[in-house]
Amino acid sequence: MASGSVRPGLRRVEHIMGTAISLDLADDLPAAMLHELAEQTFGWLREVDARFSTYRDDSEVCRFDRGELPLAEASVDLRAVLDRCADLWRETDGFFDVYATGRLDPSGYVKGWSAQVASDRLVEAGAANHCLNAGGDVRVRGRSATGEKWRIGVRHPWDPTATCLVLTGTDLAIATSGVYERGHHVVDPRRGVPAQGLRSVTVVGSDLGVADAYATAAVAMGRAGITWLDQLPDYRHAAVTDDARLLHTPTLPLPD
Amino acid sequence: MRRALLAITGLAAGTTMLVVLKGSPGASQVVPDRPVAEAPVAPSTPDPTPAPPGASANPLGSAPTGSAPTGSAPAKPGAKAGAGPTPDATPGSTARPTTAAPKASTGAPKPATTRTVTGPVVSYRYGSLQVRITLNGTRIVDATALGMPQGGQSGLRSDDVQGSYSGTAGEVVARQSANLNTVSGATYTSDAYRQSLQAALDWA
Repeated sequence: MASGSVRPGLRRVEHIMGTAISLDLADDLPAAMLHELAEQTFGWLREVDARFSTYRDDSEVCRFDRGELPLAEASVDLRAVLDRCADLWRETDGFFDVYATGRLDPSGYVKGWSAQVASDRLVEAGAANHCLNAGGDVRVRGRSATGEKWRIGVRHPWDPTATCLVLTGTDLAIATSGVYERGHHVVDPRRGVPAQGLRSVTVVGSDLGVADAYATAAVAMGRAGITWLDQLPDYRHAAVTDDARLLHTPTLPLPD
Repeated sequence: MRRALLAITGLAAGTTMLVVLKGSPGASQVVPDRPVAEAPVAPSTPDPTPAPPGASANPLGSAPTGSAPTGSAPAKPGAKAGAGPTPDATPGSTARPTTAAPKASTGAPKPATTRTVTGPVVSYRYGSLQVRITLNGTRIVDATALGMPQGGQSGLRSDDVQGSYSGTAGEVVARQSANLNTVSGATYTSDAYRQSLQAALDWA
């Protein structure tokens, strides 16, 4: 998994939450400590998967959804997630809807949120320079092992091996939602049909869970999503339309 | 009742005159390859790609909605004859009236049944752009937005793709390659991950 070169830090990939999660720890810390930090990070993400997965009947989310777990007995994390998802539902005019598919599915927030929590914990633990990529949702902190700002490509919506945009920074949450990977799975919750108009939306800000939810909501809105994204004060965006136009906020953190 | 009728008639007459005046020669804009006197063509033809509901909120002025008429231009058959032939050149329609009604110009008529017509540059809320339609006989068979928005916020936003825009949908998004640490994308499955740039980076 990790490269065999002499660069400091540690890199590791694990498959959790039905996707690949890549961790790049860039701090020049003792190998044992880096290993421990990686263990804690992936341990947390596995725990989140066990508790929040909609594919596991015994997960907390599924038990809550079936009515077997009263809200009062739910974990602090689950209640916080449900609260936040309710806020996001309002903020997005209902386009971020954890009940869009007819049953509770907070995955559109949970993946980004859990990666954000993991990144926050890494900073607290002394790993101020890292990059965590949870299935395409990216949280970067500090600088890469070469001492440069992190360079994050945004996947080309028609070519899995290419990027259509490069972002760079030292403290960014970057989430991309699109219809190209799992088909038109983003449902317009108001009409109940697959969303059309935007092929891919990337949202950049400080919180990865929020960025992920905003990106998903914008895709669900279709082209009107760009106008909606324009109004967000703290989050910037790039969107690729179905006819392959790339539009983005002028203040996106592009490379120099 | 009678007064209302009079008012309406007066309004209609006024509008017609206004349009006729505006359509007079001298004010004409870029319409290179359009035969003269093709006026009634476009409006009587059903839009091949009807604008979806809510398209009026669309700031992008995309090709698919390119032939959605806006403002008051296309609605009046009486006004049309005088009014220059490309009422469909106002894509991305925000509710605002656009500038400059399109005009006929002096391009030589083409023998071919399929021809293209380029509309004037139209300003709208987020900038300006231009639409080219392709007609087969009197039917519109294609509509393409020629310009990315310029000026205003979305103009700034699209600056860096302007250079790579060639007029053909699909080439706007440039493929970049760069020295990357990671890749943001829509959530991939394990299979998709294996084929992804992210996987290549992870194993590099």
